[in-house]
Amino acid sequence: MIDEYLIFYPVLVPILAGIVCWCIPEPLKKLRNAVAVLACGFLIWLSAIIYYQHQPIYFSSIWFVSNINFSLKATALSSFIVLWISIFSFLITLYVAEKMASEKSREFITYLLITTGFACGAVLSNSFVPLLFFWEGLLVTLYLFILLGGKPDSFRTALKAFVLVGLCDFCFIGGVALYWKMTGSFDFPVRPIPVSGIGLASFILMVIGATGKAGALPFHTWIPDAAVDAPVGFMAFLPGALEKLLGIYLLTVICFDFFSIIPGSPGSMGLMSLGALTIVIAVSMALIQKDIKRLLSYHAISQVGYMIVGIGTGMPAGIAGGLFHMLNNAIYKSALFLGAGSVEHKTKTSDLKFLGGLYNQMPVTGLCFIICAAAISGVWPLNGYVSKEMVIHSALETGYKIFAVACWIGAILTFASFLKASHSMFFGETREQFKDVKENGPVILFPMIVLAALCIFFGVYNRVPLSMISGSVSLTSHHEFSAHALDILNPISGITVLCLIIAFLLHTYGWYKAGKKAHLASEVVHNLPVIKKLYELAERRIFDIYHQGMRLVNSLSIALYYGFDRSSDWLYETLIVQSGKKAINSLRFVHRGYVSEYAGWIFVGVFLVALFILIF
Amino acid sequence: MDISFYALGTIFVPVIGSITIPIIGLLSKKLRNLWAVLLGIATFILPLFLMSYVIKDPSGEFIFRYPFIFGLDFILLIDALSVFVSIVSSFIGALILLYSIDYIAGNEFQDEYYMMVVMFIGSMMGLVYSGNLVFMYLFWEIAAICSWRLIGFYRYPEHIVKADKSFLITFFGAVVMLFGFIQIHGATHTFDMTAMRTVPVSSFAVFLILIGMFSKSATFPLHTWLPDAGVAPSTVTSLLHAAVLVKIGVYAYARIFCYTFNIPVEWNTAIPVLVMFSSLVSAGAALVEYDIKRILALSTVSQIGYIFLGFWTRTVMGVAGAALFILMHGLAKAGLFLCAGIIEHGTGKRDIRQLGGLFRSMPFTAASFLLCIFSVIGIPPFGGFFSKFMVISGTVEAGRPGVAFAGLLIAVMTAIYLFRLFHAVFLGQGNTEGHEGSSLMVGIVVALAVLSLMAGVFIGLSGGFAELSAIHLLEKIK
Repeated sequence: MIDEYLIFYPVLVPILAGIVCWCIPEPLKKLRNAVAVLACGFLIWLSAIIYYQHQPIYFSSIWFVSNINFSLKATALSSFIVLWISIFSFLITLYVAEKMASEKSREFITYLLITTGFACGAVLSNSFVPLLFFWEGLLVTLYLFILLGGKPDSFRTALKAFVLVGLCDFCFIGGVALYWKMTGSFDFPVRPIPVSGIGLASFILMVIGATGKAGALPFHTWIPDAAVDAPVGFMAFLPGALEKLLGIYLLTVICFDFFSIIPGSPGSMGLMSLGALTIVIAVSMALIQKDIKRLLSYHAISQVGYMIVGIGTGMPAGIAGGLFHMLNNAIYKSALFLGAGSVEHKTKTSDLKFLGGLYNQMPVTGLCFIICAAAISGVWPLNGYVSKEMVIHSALETGYKIFAVACWIGAILTFASFLKASHSMFFGETREQFKDVKENGPVILFPMIVLAALCIFFGVYNRVPLSMISGSVSLTSHHEFSAHALDILNPISGITVLCLIIAFLLHTYGWYKAGKKAHLASEVVHNLPVIKKLYELAERRIFDIYHQGMRLVNSLSIALYYGFDRSSDWLYETLIVQSGKKAINSLRFVHRGYVSEYAGWIFVGVFLVALFILIF
Repeated sequence: MDISFYALGTIFVPVIGSITIPIIGLLSKKLRNLWAVLLGIATFILPLFLMSYVIKDPSGEFIFRYPFIFGLDFILLIDALSVFVSIVSSFIGALILLYSIDYIAGNEFQDEYYMMVVMFIGSMMGLVYSGNLVFMYLFWEIAAICSWRLIGFYRYPEHIVKADKSFLITFFGAVVMLFGFIQIHGATHTFDMTAMRTVPVSSFAVFLILIGMFSKSATFPLHTWLPDAGVAPSTVTSLLHAAVLVKIGVYAYARIFCYTFNIPVEWNTAIPVLVMFSSLVSAGAALVEYDIKRILALSTVSQIGYIFLGFWTRTVMGVAGAALFILMHGLAKAGLFLCAGIIEHGTGKRDIRQLGGLFRSMPFTAASFLLCIFSVIGIPPFGGFFSKFMVISGTVEAGRPGVAFAGLLIAVMTAIYLFRLFHAVFLGQGNTEGHEGSSLMVGIVVALAVLSLMAGVFIGLSGGFAELSAIHLLEKIK
């Protein structure tokens, strides 16, 4: 007999631990860190228990009004995601507890734990209202996390993130309301509904909510700004890992539990197009970045495209590939952000121009970074290679080669930009000012080592994660994804390998052309005709939906203010008051205290009354 | 004790008690303050006793008639909605009275201040429990007189002008509404709301009554008096926005158009468009203004649109959402205005261009302000999320997804202008000199912020009662 209340613990334990940590004062910092790490460790244990139940755990009760239930359910997929949320929370807590400045670590750890609780709640929700409750609740900590950055523009970036993600969340609410209108229930449906009519509108709005959270185009523009203005632990935790897990989990549920997305359908095509655009545009922007954190943040966006393409195929291998890529991305992207953060911590800069030759000083950090960079680039036999191949194979199976081509373009530019990043940071001549830089301590290195090891393990022994994923997704037939996962001797894998070779040649050529300056290796692409103009426009934020949206909102506000608000006030303040004053002055003019004038008025009045009586 | 005792007590304890305040003020200032706060607390406690009656009773409604002059009956109408609104308004009113002790100390005319505030709350209670249109109008106008006196409290000439403007606009609306009541009386020969249920009303009468409601609840184009009323002490603006005045119009809408009459079909398109346009205009204006209290006032105008929208839907979801909105908006907006009071007290400034960086000197006020902002925007786990979500869902259920979508976009604008305000005052490069308020004042704003959060976390406590009030309200004219 399973205790149904077990499902509450992944939500409650981190939130309560967060409140406790917030209450522990600064002199007891070590106790606070211990509480946080222990709470996350306990959460992993709880999540593992739930995952290995091998049967759904379900809780439902009427919430605040009679047709709204507080309903939670641990399915194979949701408990799988909760398990990984717990693992990432543990690793990031460990890193932050050791590295972060004391005055901010209390708040950071509190937000991290509360975010973890809300994320678990969102994933375990089995009804739309609790899902919205937890999902939107993450906005609060998102905003507070970015404010913690303490940079001059942190609060502007926090607002930008809040508005963009909030807009997506509000779209999701609109989609839920339409869905409720169609089905008459806020509980998750037993059977998916077709994507047509109001269903199409609901589907589009829900997809905006899910992909916006995951960081897909066009609501992604806060992420590169946050990379500069927010703490690096936040980047590793939220945009790097958690938001991908949440957004892609929700997208999977929307596509296959709430709606039925069939391969080749308009819904499928729309999703794959969104994914392909996200890959190409974001990776193009990543390529020209010269700040390592901004570079990583564009890759965090670009990689979401692969996940969306995979899920958009509607095919078992594509869905599993998308989910596997979600997990892989969370692993290597967290490690990359942590690595970049460690380098910045030691060198006080994240500008690639000023870095170089750090491998000798920070060999473990460098090795972990390079492994993860190779994994994200899809180098055989790492985990990124396996998941990307699954996505590309499925994209080709749909019959639309353009989506596979987008994935390959993404592979070339990803590898080229990581060659640039790794080369600029860790190789070349060590700068004089970095000669005394020392490697990080074991507690900071531990999360990076674990994550880098997972990149290798999940590539070589991909059967382990893929069996977990295939057991989590309701597939119509059993698929053995792992059997040929590392098969490199087929034409499609051959193209992928060719892409990596092109990327290497591109980097080498660029490096040589730029006078052997690694951070300028991408300038050959940057300066291409037409492309250069597009990059200029992008850097001027012409394509930034927030920038343009705020201009529109400000113009609209001024129009509303002067066109309606002030003009209606003018009506009272000027027109009515002035008319009233004139009327009063007229009356004053005829009431000057002369008896003869009053007598005249009486005479006129009596005459008018008499006339009225005579006529009527 | 009889149920009518509690309802009559809720109305007459503050109304009659307010008259005794200046007398006690002659004896002792401290005793006067204590007495005013006690009256506020009593007004909050008395309706609590009514809750169990309306929950237990299957019809959920109690009507008491007391004969009065000219054949008019003073009718007490006790149901879940009236109890809910009276509890919310009196609770926020009591907190504001408590805050006033420190805030208003050192000012002249405190006897008048406390008398007017308590009578203001009492008039709201009278209006809420009135089952007769004439008595509803009577209490409506008492509230108008109190607000007029309180807006011009500092007696500066420009303040008097603003007070006059507020009074004249709301009085104009009320008189037009009275014509609407008289028209209805012509058709039904009664002012008793319980006797005129389901009687068809003319579209013109609805138009006249709506002018009254829109003027009181500051809806475009009759809204401009509310930002101007920001010249009043912050406690008064808090009362106007959170507890009493602007809630009068929306409550009257619910009582008349959800409980008494079926609104003519032609208004079904006009009302949602009008209230959402009002919300949009005021949200836009809030993004352009620079005065803290004007921005917050425009925010109220914007949020009131959601309450109207919820009641307009006449679905259980929408109406319950609107009732919850009264609670959630009341808590958060009271907190915001009282924070504005602390800022004004501590810095002597209200222009956000002259403020900045106050987070360092006013951490508690800043944190409370931020929490209240989250609730007004409608972010979980704050209470504002549930009310906004229910109103939006109710609007979709009522067949107006386009209006619901407009409501969601306005929520995004709400986030933009409220964060602009927060950033300008508490963050940024500025380094304004200022100090935190007294412990009592800060305690009250922290309490309101925490309550905004708790109201969401424990939504079951208020949500069930709001749903009950919606069910009882709507079943009467089905």
